[in-house]
Amino acid sequence: MLKFIIRRVVWTIPVILLVIFMTFVMMRQIKGNPFQVTERAVPEAQQRTLDRKFHLDQPWYIQYAYYVKGVFTANLGPSLVQRDRDVNDVIKDHFPVSLKLGGLAMLWAVLVGIPLGIIAALKQNTKLDYAVMAVVNAGYALPNFLIATVLIYLFAVKWREHTPFPTNGWGGWETWVLPAAALGHAPMTFFARIVRGSMLETLQQDYIRTAKAKGLRWRRVVGLHVLRNSLIPAVTAAAPLLGFLITGSFIVEFVFGIPGIGRYFVNSVTARDYSVTMGITILLSMIIIFANLLVDILYGYLDPRTRDVRT
Amino acid sequence: MVIDRRADFEASLTRTAELRGDQAGAALQRASLLRDAVHRFLKNRAAVAGAVAFLIMVIFVTITPLLSPHDPYAIDFGKAYLKPSWDHPFGTDDFGRDLFIRTALGGRVSILIGFAATIAIMLVGILYGSLSGFAGGALDNGMMRFLDALYGLPYLPFAILTLAIFGTVNFWTMVVALTVASWFTTARVMRGQIITLKENDYVRAANALGARWYRILFRHLLPNTLGVILIFVFLELPGVILGEAFLSFIGLGISAPKASWGTLAQEGYSSYLAYPYIIIIPSLCIGWLILSAFFVADGLRDALDPRSQEA
Repeated sequence: MLKFIIRRVVWTIPVILLVIFMTFVMMRQIKGNPFQVTERAVPEAQQRTLDRKFHLDQPWYIQYAYYVKGVFTANLGPSLVQRDRDVNDVIKDHFPVSLKLGGLAMLWAVLVGIPLGIIAALKQNTKLDYAVMAVVNAGYALPNFLIATVLIYLFAVKWREHTPFPTNGWGGWETWVLPAAALGHAPMTFFARIVRGSMLETLQQDYIRTAKAKGLRWRRVVGLHVLRNSLIPAVTAAAPLLGFLITGSFIVEFVFGIPGIGRYFVNSVTARDYSVTMGITILLSMIIIFANLLVDILYGYLDPRTRDVRT
Repeated sequence: MVIDRRADFEASLTRTAELRGDQAGAALQRASLLRDAVHRFLKNRAAVAGAVAFLIMVIFVTITPLLSPHDPYAIDFGKAYLKPSWDHPFGTDDFGRDLFIRTALGGRVSILIGFAATIAIMLVGILYGSLSGFAGGALDNGMMRFLDALYGLPYLPFAILTLAIFGTVNFWTMVVALTVASWFTTARVMRGQIITLKENDYVRAANALGARWYRILFRHLLPNTLGVILIFVFLELPGVILGEAFLSFIGLGISAPKASWGTLAQEGYSSYLAYPYIIIIPSLCIGWLILSAFFVADGLRDALDPRSQEA
């Protein structure tokens, strides 16, 4: 197990380098020197100083090396548009908000989605099952800007007198509920569906039949054998979900006016603040990479067979 | 937000490929397998409903602009924000444009971009995956490591970066942006298929008879993956259409007066308090298409799985 973990962790390093490299290459394709993009003309001498300061006079691989060093020493350089602010400041200001939103959404997804899936599987082909699956399928296909807007329309506008939720902003707990529900909705339907599917599969296994045949109480069979074996897929599903939370947060932060990293990312692209764009892209990618790492290790622990196959 | 269902399909598709290996020898027998598959698909009510719903939407977006008496771009402020009526079934927008025809035209854009990007994803994925699986050895290993590194990266930041590189948003840049970070799953599944199929006796026989590698690949291996490719078209399409809608919704879509469903939803978002139907209609169209595509994909998977023959 230890060997597996070490191998898996070491493998993460070239992956990070590759992702930084890809982002770096993409950013270099965007035309123009950032200091010539602004309307202010920069004197030539100053231009040279700036070039030297940001290593723009060096060949690309030296620039890449500097950038990698910056990433690993947690120094992503200055913002190109906002003076006196570093990319680090931007991330420090906005990332915790997104993190909290994502965490709350995930909590919502787990607490609602998994029980729904369990109920649907245990009552397979009953009206309850159909109702749950109808909600899950419908909710699953609707774009989350619609869900976010409908939530605002209903709770913050139409029933304003009866609910404490504001239409937008980010502050106390009452501002968290609607965004977390909007963002967590799709992962919730995902958990429900995947737990239902894997439970139905587990229920058909021979060892369940054996457990039933030897007279175990049904409650105990479900608790001991079914749940344990069918929640593993839910664990592995959690890693790609992170990607969806990030993608979704772009929309949800936009609709609710939340000062998170997703909204800031979109702003940085339209404002051509490339160092911020690049920093956020790499940050988001690294989160995914580390989540994949964690899930792989967790999976290796839960299901020892995977240790040899995966690296 | 659509969550990745492609991963769920991976395991069952490999099983299908293994089973198909035993049966796919003679051309005659393959024909009957196909007929069986069609038969099974048609017996699956959910799948047929999905296919019919899908066709209805395609017919709606194709025919409406030909029949509608309204000009989708004519601006008439006297008719702004009309509620849905017989003359304007979906109402009108802030410029007084008929939303029925604009929804249909937007659907054309969304569906066309969806299909174009799906085809691009399939081409890249099939090329990469089948090359990797067919070559085997060190090349396969390296290519898979590269793929593992990228797996799970959120596609939206990279799509936004791609659009920033192009500097303009039109049909083709949108297609490229949606393809850039979306082909990984397809490549992985294709590799798995090729590797499984490669072990079949008829491939060994072809090898022994001295067939060139490209004949084996194109005559024996790829035709046997057609079913999987077809399934994946319907799995990719929803994600791509939704990705385009997200980009349009946050203001990075195809520019006015042309519109996709995402752009229409964004226009509706600016006036959702007074006129919620403007955002709801295009969003429901997106949901309709996504859901029908999923049912088709599910039905195809069940139909193409030889295991279900006995059932």
